[in-house]
Amino acid sequence: MNASDAATTAALAGLQLATFLLFAPFLTATIRRTKARLQSRRGPGLLQPYRDLAKWWQKLPLESNAAGPVARYAPAFVLGAMLTAVLLVPWETSRTPLSGWGDLLVVVGLFAAARFALALAALDAGSAFGGMGSSRDVAISALAEPGLVLALAGAATAAGSSDLGAIGAFGMRQGVGLLGPAHLLAAAAFAIVVVAETGHHPVDNPDTHLELTMIHEGMLLEASGRSLAALVLASELKLAVIAAVFSAAFFPFGAATELAPGPIAFGLLVGLGKMLVIAQVLALLDASIAKARILTLPDLLGLASLLALAGFGMQVLLP
Amino acid sequence: MIVAPDSAVGAGLLPACWIAATLSFLLAAATAVTPRARDLSPVLSTAGAVLALALGGVLLATGATLSASGGNTLGFAPFAVRYDGLSGVFLVAFGLSAAAASLSVVGQPSRSRPEGAAYPLFLGSIVFVLGASSAFAFLFAWESMALLSAFLVVGLRPTRAVVSAGNVYLAMTHVATAAIVVGFALLVAGSGGQLDFAAWHAAAPTLAPVTRDAALVLVAVGFLTKAGAMPFHVWLPKAHPVAPSHVSAVMSGVMIKTGIYGLIRLVVDVVGGSPEWLGLLILGVGAVSAVMGVLYALMQHDIKRLLAFHSIENVGIILIGLGSALLLQTYGATELAALALTAALFHSVNHAAFKTLLFLGAGAVVNATGLHDLNHLGGLGRKMPATMLAFGVGAAAISGLPPLNGFASEWLTFQGLLGATGSGLVTPLARFAAAGAIGALAITSALAVACFVKATGITFLGLPCSAAAANAHETARPARLAMVILAAICAALGFAAGPVSSALAAVSREAFHDGPPPAAIAAVTAGPRPGGAATYAALAVGALLAAVVGILVLASRSRARARLVDTWTCGIAPRPEFQYTATSYAKPIRLFFRRVLVPEREVHVDYHPGTAFPSSIRYRSEITLLLEDRVLRPAHGLSLRAADLARKLQGGAIQLYIAYSVVAVLVLLLWAR
Repeated sequence: MNASDAATTAALAGLQLATFLLFAPFLTATIRRTKARLQSRRGPGLLQPYRDLAKWWQKLPLESNAAGPVARYAPAFVLGAMLTAVLLVPWETSRTPLSGWGDLLVVVGLFAAARFALALAALDAGSAFGGMGSSRDVAISALAEPGLVLALAGAATAAGSSDLGAIGAFGMRQGVGLLGPAHLLAAAAFAIVVVAETGHHPVDNPDTHLELTMIHEGMLLEASGRSLAALVLASELKLAVIAAVFSAAFFPFGAATELAPGPIAFGLLVGLGKMLVIAQVLALLDASIAKARILTLPDLLGLASLLALAGFGMQVLLP
Repeated sequence: MIVAPDSAVGAGLLPACWIAATLSFLLAAATAVTPRARDLSPVLSTAGAVLALALGGVLLATGATLSASGGNTLGFAPFAVRYDGLSGVFLVAFGLSAAAASLSVVGQPSRSRPEGAAYPLFLGSIVFVLGASSAFAFLFAWESMALLSAFLVVGLRPTRAVVSAGNVYLAMTHVATAAIVVGFALLVAGSGGQLDFAAWHAAAPTLAPVTRDAALVLVAVGFLTKAGAMPFHVWLPKAHPVAPSHVSAVMSGVMIKTGIYGLIRLVVDVVGGSPEWLGLLILGVGAVSAVMGVLYALMQHDIKRLLAFHSIENVGIILIGLGSALLLQTYGATELAALALTAALFHSVNHAAFKTLLFLGAGAVVNATGLHDLNHLGGLGRKMPATMLAFGVGAAAISGLPPLNGFASEWLTFQGLLGATGSGLVTPLARFAAAGAIGALAITSALAVACFVKATGITFLGLPCSAAAANAHETARPARLAMVILAAICAALGFAAGPVSSALAAVSREAFHDGPPPAAIAAVTAGPRPGGAATYAALAVGALLAAVVGILVLASRSRARARLVDTWTCGIAPRPEFQYTATSYAKPIRLFFRRVLVPEREVHVDYHPGTAFPSSIRYRSEITLLLEDRVLRPAHGLSLRAADLARKLQGGAIQLYIAYSVVAVLVLLLWAR
């Protein structure tokens, strides 16, 4: 890698980090706002997530006297894994900021590493609610994982590489021709998985205040201060990263194919637009359907796996 | 005896390592039965394992081979060995596992090591299996390994349950050996009476397809049984947990891997090709073993039984890699086949490292508390911080999480499958089968995360659930050292996955007899590799992750010290009973997968007479092991009933037998009329 390549990489990485860090809490704010409006409430202001993060960052932390180093260091690891994943997904351009560092499976692996650390930390304080959240989260992820990987693997097989940049570039070359039935089935499967992975209705309720219904929130119950800030920011980033993966693998249109300021600015705007659309759909789901019983989730997430497998079958059996 | 390394590189080193390793194991066996020198035995075993590791490392690094033969008295050389790169890979796996396992018992009082001479001889037999290059030598080593391991399972604590586990193991391992013997006999016949693997390889193209396929199936069944793949796994979860922990570590970490070695040696190297259905079969066996292995593991609350089921899962992952390699080779996609075989080899080495680590960790827990049951543990991290750290690293590695080693090999396995789904050379049906295997591998790795959060969290975190757990103590220094070394190796193999996978790629080329280098469309590298090919830059990503997390740890340290409070339990004082147990942790998964796990639940409540207050509650929850409970047990019952009927026919009275003869003669006469 020569010097100008390194400079480009560094600039793109910086831009990506800044965009995601600035924009991820805003996405949460818009979800809450839309949801409030649909429920005839005014809802908190659009800056509330930033204020929350700032408040937690300054607060005196409370630690459980049963907890130890796992609960103390896991939040940094969870946020670190998410920030690393941010740099491995394409956004305003069709290449990933760190081009050639890792493919979509590395992003999926980083998600799994973050989940492992958080689920483990939730057990550290010996709380029933932490155990409940942890146990449910890993179980639901296990159901969602085949759909997630199969949908992405379908896109990777079509593109001939599991590199997200290459998949995006392939999609851009195909244009509207990309949107065949196999592709749309995989996209539908991935959309279901997005709901499960980001913890929205009907899988989880992000705003619940009842410990017994919490999944993701249950795992954060014992966290406070900077640990809580790191974990909340990580989950906000996760939504943005998953939205970016969704867009790169299934609807890459609008991303810059050349590294010039004009296309990059355009790609950035289109990208932010796509992210907002995904967030509003999630808000609509939260407001319009009830959280499902946990025992019915295998039907929903099994459907995602089957859709993805059907898409795959269409692709390889009917060439 | 002739010992001949084939090249000048490492010429002196190879025989020296091999002879020294063999001598160390023999000496370790001798000292184990010498009362005065008994404490030396684990030290010598460790030295032997380190020498075997060095032998494997030199074989891998130089690409040299080491041949030796001797005992030429029967007109053929019965004790022929030839160590090549493929042997080297498994010797490295063996060395890592056996060295750590032996180190962990150094300095322990000899009464806690009742295994005596059997353990070092068992280690030596594995080294011999990995190099044997003729049918006689291989079967001799194979049978020694089987008998010694059976002794290690049964011989030490012959209680009723242990003897029953040992009988199942002995029976299954001998059926497996019988299948291998018959398969070998077919190959011997097909090569004009030759016993040497090299002669078989030379004769393989001239074999009749029926003979070749029959030999392949028999050999595959034998080796899959040793590997513990489903549906030949029944012995594994019974036998592994009852051996001492360092022996279970070697059995799970290495011995089952000799089955994988045998498969690769015979199917890929010696016969050099397989029909399409064998690749599909192995892929299917791998997928089923992986998913069912991890599901059953999740349902266990005995820590060693849990780990034993995970061995089935990991053998499944290795077989998915091997199966896709065989498929791709059948269709002529040899570059992709090399990629998939590299994945299988890498995961074999990785599994040896983390499974040994986890078994040693389990052994430390069992020693510290006397308990196997996760439901009675908890909070051990405070008393055993080093064990918790090492076990946690092993748990993350086996769950396939970046930046550790398990992720790199699972990533390569995924890429082999993606190669199969994307290759135009492969038939549509096989491409779809590979897609199914992708789904199976995905759910396996997610369930492994669930299982190891459970195993680590319920054991080491939270509050202790019994007095024994509360009074636990850290394990002895050599055992701690062994675990920390293995944890470091898991991390090192993860960060150095780039160079390691290219060394293994050279071995898979060699196994395919000068096949092409693995396809460049996917590779684990050290640094970034732009250009749109699938890449996992292990060192770069690992370093980036470590740097980001390090900065965040420093940045998020509060200036003020945290205030310590009770865990929130809705306002009452926290008690250990409030925590999730191993059984409750797995409950969502038990219910999600109730169709395959078929859980049974029994709650029995006694009340104080005349009141609604319970005096005692008994709870029992069990799952159905489909193969054992629904197939094997009924089949066993049927065969017993058939035997009963046969016994009635054989009354023992001479008149009855004469009557049978008369009837038989009459029937024959009528028939022949």
